[in-house]
Amino acid sequence: MSSSDFSIEQSDLEKLSDKDKTELRQFFANEEQRSRIQSQTHELTGICWKKCITSSTIKSGALDKGEQNCLANCVDRFMDANLATMKHLASMRQQH
Amino acid sequence: MDSDAVKKTIIKQALQATNTANARTLIENINEKCFERCVPKPGSSLSSGEQTCLTSCMEKYMAAWNEVNATYIRRIQQEMGNQSLFKQ
Repeated sequence: MSSSDFSIEQSDLEKLSDKDKTELRQFFANEEQRSRIQSQTHELTGICWKKCITSSTIKSGALDKGEQNCLANCVDRFMDANLATMKHLASMRQQH
Repeated sequence: MDSDAVKKTIIKQALQATNTANARTLIENINEKCFERCVPKPGSSLSSGEQTCLTSCMEKYMAAWNEVNATYIRRIQQEMGNQSLFKQ
């Protein structure tokens, strides 16, 4: 998101009450989190698609049970691997 | 415009911007993955088989996105539950 996404006058911004400013700060904090989760989802979908959707031509638009399980496992194991890496990194730092 | 109207305008424009950006990324990824999968050897035009594959692939990619998103959110909530700091 950038300032070019907004068409609002400076004079209108000055009309914001303190209560609405607080509400907007909360809204943007939530949006930031939602946005982070969405971009991580894009990345994970790309990674897990490669591993789980393996047939050479795609015949159905729906996920079969096997594909669905594989995708869920893929996300969970990716997170496990991520945690394992962080944990090992921490132990390597302690040794030096 | 009063304060409430200004606030609502900002929220509306922000949601529009993030939703558009999200949709654009999704479509770019669908194009890339489904072209790779459905058109392995590009010919002089798209065959009907390739076109069928592309539409199924698009639907399947969206279903996969939703599955991954749901699993990821479940996992984050689980991790947060493990940290007493975030417990209510």
